[in-house]
Amino acid sequence: MLSLTQKLVKRGRFAKASVNNGLLSTLMYQIAGYIGRQTLRSANHLLNLFAFTYRIFMLIFKRPATGRALVRRIALEQIYYTCVQALPIIIPIALIIGSILIIQFTKISEQYDLGKTTVLLIVRELGPIITAFLVILRSATAVTIEIGYMNVLHETEAIEMAGIDPMLITCLPRLVGITSAVLCLFVVFDLASIIGGYAMVWTITHISMGNFLGQIGKAITGADIAVGIVKAIFFGIIITVTSLNHGYRIKKQITDIPVGTSRAAIECVVYCLVSNIIISAIFYM
Amino acid sequence: MSLIELSDYCLNATGSGNGLKNFYFTLSDGDICSIQTDSSDDAHNFLKALATLVYPVNGAYRFLGEAVNFSDYRELLPIKKKIGYIGQDSAMISNRTVRENMLLMRYYFENSLSLVLDENASKFCKMFNLQDKLDLRPGDLRSVDLRIAIAIRELTKSIDVLLLDRPEDYFGYNRFALFKEIIRDIIESGPAVVFFSHDLNFIETFSNMKILIKDGTLTKVF
Repeated sequence: MLSLTQKLVKRGRFAKASVNNGLLSTLMYQIAGYIGRQTLRSANHLLNLFAFTYRIFMLIFKRPATGRALVRRIALEQIYYTCVQALPIIIPIALIIGSILIIQFTKISEQYDLGKTTVLLIVRELGPIITAFLVILRSATAVTIEIGYMNVLHETEAIEMAGIDPMLITCLPRLVGITSAVLCLFVVFDLASIIGGYAMVWTITHISMGNFLGQIGKAITGADIAVGIVKAIFFGIIITVTSLNHGYRIKKQITDIPVGTSRAAIECVVYCLVSNIIISAIFYM
Repeated sequence: MSLIELSDYCLNATGSGNGLKNFYFTLSDGDICSIQTDSSDDAHNFLKALATLVYPVNGAYRFLGEAVNFSDYRELLPIKKKIGYIGQDSAMISNRTVRENMLLMRYYFENSLSLVLDENASKFCKMFNLQDKLDLRPGDLRSVDLRIAIAIRELTKSIDVLLLDRPEDYFGYNRFALFKEIIRDIIESGPAVVFFSHDLNFIETFSNMKILIKDGTLTKVF
């Protein structure tokens, strides 16, 4: 019916008004139905994510006496993979971005406060979001693939057969590890980009060093640091929960792993951007 | 009291199997039950159902007299802990070494990471020449060695029930005789065993109870 309607609409052949109205109303129903189904699916998915987040947080609050040593070790491993191994990537990127921004800022330094502009862009906005993107590219995809493989290859069943809750040794340490890693990387990114800017100021501009750092020192407030920390924590939670959730949705087919990974990465980016806007709006408006 | 009692149990079909419809099955201490079937998928499905890895469509599962609640997977964990499952789809966690996999359960329940393999596990590793491969990842092992490592992990658990799916394929021709020696010792120590095997000698040697799964129905042969 829809294909016939589409053909008629395309060709513009509407001989009779009644036929025309009937087909159009069918088309409208189909479109409305599609939008409705997609909306319900998205709402359901979001609710699933919230429920999943709740489940993981309950594991933190319950603090089971057994398995703490194992959970601690896996969390430390996750911090190593996500934070320490990412340092050789994030530091050069931060230096480059910091340098580029400072070069541009120096051109307008007569009109605007350089320190304030640096804090505004790097500490408040670019730092958390670029850190989050890097963690998504490196770790969120890896987590989805790992959990997907664990499901497909029955490794999750092996954990269950040992009497261990798989969520406790896969989700909880990754939540703690990735969130801590995002927080640390955010601090590293901010420092590296400001140092990169400092180097640029030192080599190619006429602005004095003391003046530049003094301006940054004056511009940065407690709220900026708090917002950075809040954003990093939120991004860490969003990235972990989304990537784990997509990993756990993969059940049997190995071909579902790339699809799930791609979806997880895209969703992580979207959710981080949206939450970035919300947090900025709450704190600065 | 029965170790496991399944009543009015119904399982969906998997692969080329027929599924199982409204059957009754009971397993007690000392039972060594062999499965005869026209479909290996049904036998595999049944073993996974006993391990609570496959959920029923309907019916009641009782473990040591207590009804099992399938609505929350966490309530199944204490039961799974008491079941050793050596099946074609048993696995090890691939980002841990073989030693860590074997110790995973103890790492968790003893809440310590400074543990060594117990005497039995070390003995079995030596028997199957695995002691040099314990610090490798599962992916670095030959498939036969990996399967043996999985079997050792399951056999050294403190179990009430042992489930075996085609052990003759699992261990390979050369090592099956060694496995039979181990299983003989384990049976003497008390756990109930349910197995599906094509090896008539193995069936006749060990089983004291037989069930037949045919066309989706389960019947006790003797």
